[in-house]
Amino acid sequence: MLRFFLKRLGWMILTVWIVYTVSFFLMRAVPGGPFASEKKIDDAIKRNIEARYKMDRPLYEQYFSHLWSTVQFDFGPSFRLEDYTVNEVIAQGFPVSASLGIFAMVFALTLGMTAGVVSAVRRNSPYDVSFMMLATIGIAVPNFVLASVAVVIFVFMWPLFPAAGWGQLNQIILPALCLGAPFAGYIARLTRTGMLEVLTSDYIRTAYAKGLSTRQVVMRHAMRGGMLPVVSYLGPATAGILTGSLVLERIFALPGMGSHFIEAALTRDYTLCMGMVLIYTVLLFVMNTLVDLSYSIIDPRVDLEDQA
Amino acid sequence: MPHGFRKVFPYIALLVLVAAMVWAVSFGTLPRADFAFNNGDEIKTVDPAKATGSPEGRVINGLFEGLLRQTPLDQESDENGQVPLQPETNGVAERYTVSDDGLVYTFHIREAAVWSNGDKVTADDFAWSWRRMLHPETGSQYAYQLHYVSGAMQYNLGTLQVGDQVEVELDDRRDPQQLFPRGTVLKGLLVSRDEDNENFTIDIKPLRDGKVDWQAAGSEQSFTKLTAKQPGSGTKCHHVLADFGSTVGITVEDAATLVVRLENRTPYFPDLVAFYPLYPVNRRCVEEHGTPNWTKPGNIVGNGPFVLQFRRIRDRVRMVKNPKYWNADIVQLDVVDAMAVKSQTTSLNMYMNGQLDWTTTVPNPIIPELRKRDDFITAPMLTTYFYRINVELPGLDKVLVRRALNMAVDKQEIVEKVTKAGQLPARSYVPPGLPGFESALCGEFNPEKARKLLVEAGHAGGRGLPKIEILYNTSESHRDIAQVIQQHWKKHLGIDVVLRNLEWATYLDTIHKTDYAVARAGWIGDYADANTFLDMFITDGTNNQTNWSNKKYDGLIEAAKSETDVAARLSLLHQAERILMDEQPIIPIYFYRSINMVHPRIEGFSANIQDVHPLHLLRIRPAER
Repeated sequence: MLRFFLKRLGWMILTVWIVYTVSFFLMRAVPGGPFASEKKIDDAIKRNIEARYKMDRPLYEQYFSHLWSTVQFDFGPSFRLEDYTVNEVIAQGFPVSASLGIFAMVFALTLGMTAGVVSAVRRNSPYDVSFMMLATIGIAVPNFVLASVAVVIFVFMWPLFPAAGWGQLNQIILPALCLGAPFAGYIARLTRTGMLEVLTSDYIRTAYAKGLSTRQVVMRHAMRGGMLPVVSYLGPATAGILTGSLVLERIFALPGMGSHFIEAALTRDYTLCMGMVLIYTVLLFVMNTLVDLSYSIIDPRVDLEDQA
Repeated sequence: MPHGFRKVFPYIALLVLVAAMVWAVSFGTLPRADFAFNNGDEIKTVDPAKATGSPEGRVINGLFEGLLRQTPLDQESDENGQVPLQPETNGVAERYTVSDDGLVYTFHIREAAVWSNGDKVTADDFAWSWRRMLHPETGSQYAYQLHYVSGAMQYNLGTLQVGDQVEVELDDRRDPQQLFPRGTVLKGLLVSRDEDNENFTIDIKPLRDGKVDWQAAGSEQSFTKLTAKQPGSGTKCHHVLADFGSTVGITVEDAATLVVRLENRTPYFPDLVAFYPLYPVNRRCVEEHGTPNWTKPGNIVGNGPFVLQFRRIRDRVRMVKNPKYWNADIVQLDVVDAMAVKSQTTSLNMYMNGQLDWTTTVPNPIIPELRKRDDFITAPMLTTYFYRINVELPGLDKVLVRRALNMAVDKQEIVEKVTKAGQLPARSYVPPGLPGFESALCGEFNPEKARKLLVEAGHAGGRGLPKIEILYNTSESHRDIAQVIQQHWKKHLGIDVVLRNLEWATYLDTIHKTDYAVARAGWIGDYADANTFLDMFITDGTNNQTNWSNKKYDGLIEAAKSETDVAARLSLLHQAERILMDEQPIIPIYFYRSINMVHPRIEGFSANIQDVHPLHLLRIRPAER
C-alpha cells in the first residue's frame, strides 16, 4: 500500500515537472504577450512594465526562478489580475468549481445508478426503454447545447432558477444538472450492463435459492459487483467533469477555475495559466489514484502492488 | 485489504460524498445589491495608475475621484438623445484657473474633500500619486497621459543627460520589492554614465534645512544599478532618474493648491485630469500595505462616492456608499455590484431575468429586436471602426489603389446589414460631434470611379495586384464585415481577397509587427478632441502601425500642439485629416454607437459621446424603491 503511494507520488512529480516545462516554453512561444493591448504602448513604458515582472531577464533565468517559487507552492503574482497572486485566484476559484463538480457528480451518480439498476432488473420493460433512450440523448447532446435549452425552459418559460451567477444555492443547480447529464447517461448504461452480467451469475442464483427477496439480492449482492464498471469509470468521469465545466462556467457566469483557465490562456496571463495547468494535472492524477484505490477495495481480485 | 474495511467502504464513500455536499452547500447566500450592472469583464486592477480599460474606469470612478470629473451636463438631450459631457469641477477641485498662455493650471482643492479614512485630500496627494504613476517601476501603461506635463516624460522614460539634476535611490528600502516607502534618495548633478545607463558618476549635493543646495560644492560618487548586467564598483542603487522636484512641472503651493506646468498648450488637459488614470491614491495606505495589498478590501482607502466592500474574481466587485464623500448627499445607491459577465448572451439573460439593471453589451444578431424597446439606449460614440493598410506592400503602396479600395466599399450596406444598431457609415477618421471641428472626408462609395482609379494606377481589373489578406480578431461581427468587404472588392474591382482571423493576443502581436496587408482596427478617443485620433498617425507613432509617413502631416500635428488660437488649431488638425484621408493609409468604415440596456426603474442614466455613466448619479425611481 505504502509502496503504491510512494511510486505514484514519484510518477506524479515527474509528470508535473514535464507538464510544467512543456507549458512554460509553449506558452512563451505563442505570439502576443500579457501586456499587449489594442492601444500599443511606447517601448520604453513597455520595458518598465516588463521589468516589474522580471520579463526582461533571459528565458532560462525566468524558468528557474519561477520553477523554484513553484516548488514552494508560490505561483507568483497574476500578470493580468494585478491585484491578486495566482494562489489567491486559485483559492477563490477552486471552491466554486469543486462544489459545481460535486453537485454534478452526485447528480450523475444518483440518477445514473438508479436508472441503471431499474433498467437491469426490469429488463425490456417500458422503464428500461425510456431510461436508456434518455441516457443516449444525455450522452449525445453536448453540455452547452443542453445548457441553452435548460435556460430557455427553466429560466424563461418556467422561472424556477436565475439565469446565471454565483452566490445562491439555486444558482448552482442548473449548471450542475447540465454538467452531470452526460455522465448520468454513461453511468446508467454502465450500471445496466454490469448488473445484467452479475444478475445471471451463480452466486445470485444461490442468493435467490436461499430465499432472499429481490430487493435484498439486488442491494446486498448484485450491486457490489455490478458497480465495478461504474467505479472504474469514475476516473475519466472526474476528468470529464473538471474539463467540461470550462464551457459551462462561461455560460452560467460562474467564477470558477474553468473561467480563470480560459481567460488566462486568452490574455496570456503566464503565471495564472501555469498555476491552472499544474492544478489540473495534480487534480487528475490524484483523482485517478483514488479511483484505483477504491477499485482495489471493492474488488478483492485487484492487487495494488501489481498495479504499481 | 482487511475484510472489515472492505465491508464499510461503501458507507465511508457515501459519507464522504455527503460531507462534500454539505461543504458545497455551505457557501453563504449573498443579498442582492440595490443596483447591479454588467461590467463586461474582470477588472485588471483598482489602482488608477495601472488600470487601462473601460470596465476598470467604471469601478475606479466609483472608488476614487480626480480633481475634475467628467459628468453629463444638467440639460436636455439633443436630437441624438445625447447629453454633452464636460470635465467639470464636480471633483475634488473646487475651481481651477489657466494662465493666459495656457501652460499653467492652478487647481484649488475643496475643503470638504476627504479620504475614506478621514484624512483630508491635499495637493500633496496628487503630486505624490502622479509621481508614483510616472515612476518607471510602477509600470503604468497610461503614464503617457501625464507626458503633457513639462519634464514628466523625461522622468517616466528615464532619459538623462550629463549635467542634469538627478535623484538616486539607494538600496536600503524597507522591502526591496516595494517602490514605496522609498529608500534613501540622494540628489546631485550627473557627471557621467555608461552607455547602457547602468553605472553613473554623480556630484552629490549636500542638504541644507532639509532642502538640496544645488549651488554648494558636492562630492563625486559612483553608483551602479541593482539590475545592471555589467555592475560597476559604485554604490548599489535602484534608480537614477531626473530629479522630480526640479524637473517635473508639478508643484504643491499649499495643502489646497496644486500648480501644474505643461510642456505645450493642451486645451484638452482638463479632460485628461478628469480621466481616471490621474485620480489620486492614498499615500499612507499604499506605503503601509504595499502593492498590490493596498487594493484589498479592508486596506484600500479611496476618496470616491463608494468604498470597496469585497471582490470575487471574475464574479463581481461590490461597492457600498461612502458616507464621508464630500458630495454624499447626491449618492442614492447604497450597494452596487459590478458584475464580470463575459458572455453577451448570459449578460442579456441576466438582464431580462432582473438580475442586472444595466448591461453594457448585447449579442449583435438580436439588436434589431432590442432596438424597438424603450430600455435600449444608444448614442453615437467617440469611436471609429476602420481598416489599417500596410502601405509598404507592393500594390498597397500606391495611393490610387488605396483610394480605390475605399471607394469600392459600400459602408451603408455594412451598417444596415451587419452592425444594425444605427451606426453611421464613416467617411472621415475623426467621429462627428466634436465642437468646432470639421471633418475632412475621403471618397464616397462609387464603384465606377474606383475602377477608374485602379486603371489609372495600372491595375485594370485588379491585374498585377497581389492577393489581399484581411486580418481581424476572431469575432462573428468582424468576420461578417470582412466578408462584405471581400465581396465588394471582388465584385467592383476584381481583386481577390482572403480572410484571416487570429485570436486576440496573436492578432495584436501581428498588428504591432505590421505583419499584415489590411487589418481591422478600432480606436476609442481618450478625450473629446480630434488630436486623440490624429496624433497616432505621425511618422513612427506607437499606434500608427501602417508604415505610413508624411512629413507635412507630422508638421501640422506638431504645429497644432503649440497653436494658441482655438479655431486656428482646429483648422490645422482639419488639414492634417485632409492629408490622412487623401493618402488613405486607413479606410474608415463606421462610427460606433454605445449600446446600453437600462432597467426602467433606474433614472439619471444619460447617453453621451464618451459612454461615461457615473454610478453615483444613478437613482432608483421613488415608486420602485
